[in-house]
Amino acid sequence: MPAGRSGPAAQSARRPPLLLPLLLLCVLGAPRAGSGAHMAVISPQDPTLLIGSSLQATCSVHGDPPGATAEGLYWTLNGRRLAPELSRVLNTSTLALALANLNGSRQQSGDNLVCHARDGSILAGSCLYVGLPPEKPFNISCWSKNMKDLTCRWTPGAHGETFLHTNYSLKYKLRWYGQDNTCEEYHTVGPHSCHIPKDLALFTPYEIWVEATNRLGSARSDVLTLDILDVVTTDPPPDVHVSRVGGLEDQLSVRWVSPPALKDFLFQAKYQIRYRVEDSVDWKVVDDVSNQTSCRLAGLKPGTVYFVQVRCNPFGIYGSKKAGIWSEWSHPTAASTPRSERPGPGGGACEPRGGEPSSGPVRRELKQFLGWLKKHAYCSNLSFRLYDQWRAWMQKTHKTRNQHRTRGSCPRADGARRERLPNHPVVAWSCGLQPSKSI
Amino acid sequence: MSRREGSLEDPQADSSISPLPHLEAKIRQTHSLARLLTKYAEQLLQEYVQHQGDPFGRPGFSPPRLPVAGLSAPAPGHAGLPAPERLRLDAAALTALPPLLDVVRRRQAELNPRAPRLLLRLEEAARQARALGAAVEAVLAALGADETRGPRPEPAVVATNAAAAAPDAGVFPAKVLGLRVCGLYREWVSRTEGDLGQLVPGGPA
Repeated sequence: MPAGRSGPAAQSARRPPLLLPLLLLCVLGAPRAGSGAHMAVISPQDPTLLIGSSLQATCSVHGDPPGATAEGLYWTLNGRRLAPELSRVLNTSTLALALANLNGSRQQSGDNLVCHARDGSILAGSCLYVGLPPEKPFNISCWSKNMKDLTCRWTPGAHGETFLHTNYSLKYKLRWYGQDNTCEEYHTVGPHSCHIPKDLALFTPYEIWVEATNRLGSARSDVLTLDILDVVTTDPPPDVHVSRVGGLEDQLSVRWVSPPALKDFLFQAKYQIRYRVEDSVDWKVVDDVSNQTSCRLAGLKPGTVYFVQVRCNPFGIYGSKKAGIWSEWSHPTAASTPRSERPGPGGGACEPRGGEPSSGPVRRELKQFLGWLKKHAYCSNLSFRLYDQWRAWMQKTHKTRNQHRTRGSCPRADGARRERLPNHPVVAWSCGLQPSKSI
Repeated sequence: MSRREGSLEDPQADSSISPLPHLEAKIRQTHSLARLLTKYAEQLLQEYVQHQGDPFGRPGFSPPRLPVAGLSAPAPGHAGLPAPERLRLDAAALTALPPLLDVVRRRQAELNPRAPRLLLRLEEAARQARALGAAVEAVLAALGADETRGPRPEPAVVATNAAAAAPDAGVFPAKVLGLRVCGLYREWVSRTEGDLGQLVPGGPA
């Protein structure tokens, strides 16, 4: 967990004790380094500045004379030599620097401003922290897994980049009593998140907020008030099984078990199922699977492998009125629909252009056909000739355009050839219907 | 290299119970460890300079090589010393490094809190230095050359004694100090690898 940072006032007071004596021994006992004998001090040391502001700095040389002068000294910033016109000699031992309109720091450890002797050796350094104060974090959202913990996520302020290390601290307390607590497990589900693993109360609201702090200031989010019971999620349903429904080519049965972690609690679970064809990325979602642990998918393509997933929303725990939070999807389970050997009306059927893999085109056609029959036929005997007549009629009314397939060799995809419809078995027409002249 | 410096023969050993295979194995293992840690030390240095920003890491960057309390770089005459003496110096340096690496890690945790890999490498380097130091001392013991030469001041004790009057250390000097410590770690691990390599049977004389 990143160390918390206090405001700018306290930054200079925080130094690890062991480092200081090492540096003391270095400074007091060091043999002369570099080209010789001189050391220097840059002022200010490690300043913190707003983006766009200016900086006046000095490099004061001290050490044994002769030669301890400011003549020939120069500055670099992050390794780049600064233009001479930005510097001026204040006195024999001091070189000044004026920087304007500073950009945000290149690295969080600070920009390296270095004072060099004429021969390039380093005399002194200072680190600049140029950035922005934090903006107010917002969009806090929280969820509890099985009422045992609480995880919260937030968005860090409108513009995000402060160019300074910004510490985010998630705080929480019981609404009407209790002390402020600080979340300790950060970055559990992304860079701006925190996990509270235990000791959470139910049936009483919490107040939750985020504090952002960096060297230039701090900001606090709005307070989110919630009851743990209103933000419960759970594990995905286990033991998802997908199987065929006898020999039905267009159906699969999906069964699962309700999440065991919440089995002892009264709640009305909602479930969602999604499925897709093996070689597709498009999922179809079945939404209205409420409080059941099985479902039958229909309208599927024969002889096709489908991937299926299920998720659960444990809403209404202990009477909570809130919507609840969906679990993750279960691991995909695959199964295939059977394919009959007899080439029926679906055999060799064209898929609709860009059609959904789960919609049976022949089935849809037959459904439309039966609807048409109710209007136009006065007997129940059906025949493929009648079906052909209907298809021709549909073509005339431009209703079959969306059912054509754009690739492959299905003859029915070609509007010009649709009227031929070769190889269809024909049964004698025995009902009163005007045969279409297009056949 | 003379036989005196690189030889493993112990004229006082009982030839019927030869400790040599055990000693050779220990030397080989320690040498392999040193070789591995030399690689890690190089990676640590690269990771370190990356997070300090330019000019750290640039070719030609040469901050003052100020000495670090309790530890100095291998002396120019190190390679000419007898093998046991070299190994003693290696072991002493490896013992002095962990607290220095811990100091650097704590400072970097403030300067680069979003650099977990750097912080982890610094933590691991301290552990690795301890492990290699212990392994070198075991080799010295097996060579019968592990007598100490008087009390060695613990670097932490030295540091603590001087704590009170120290001025506040700026960020830039802290970055330079960390670079120095990481550099010393690499130098001493590499030096240890070289010294052990000369003892490995069949290794360079």
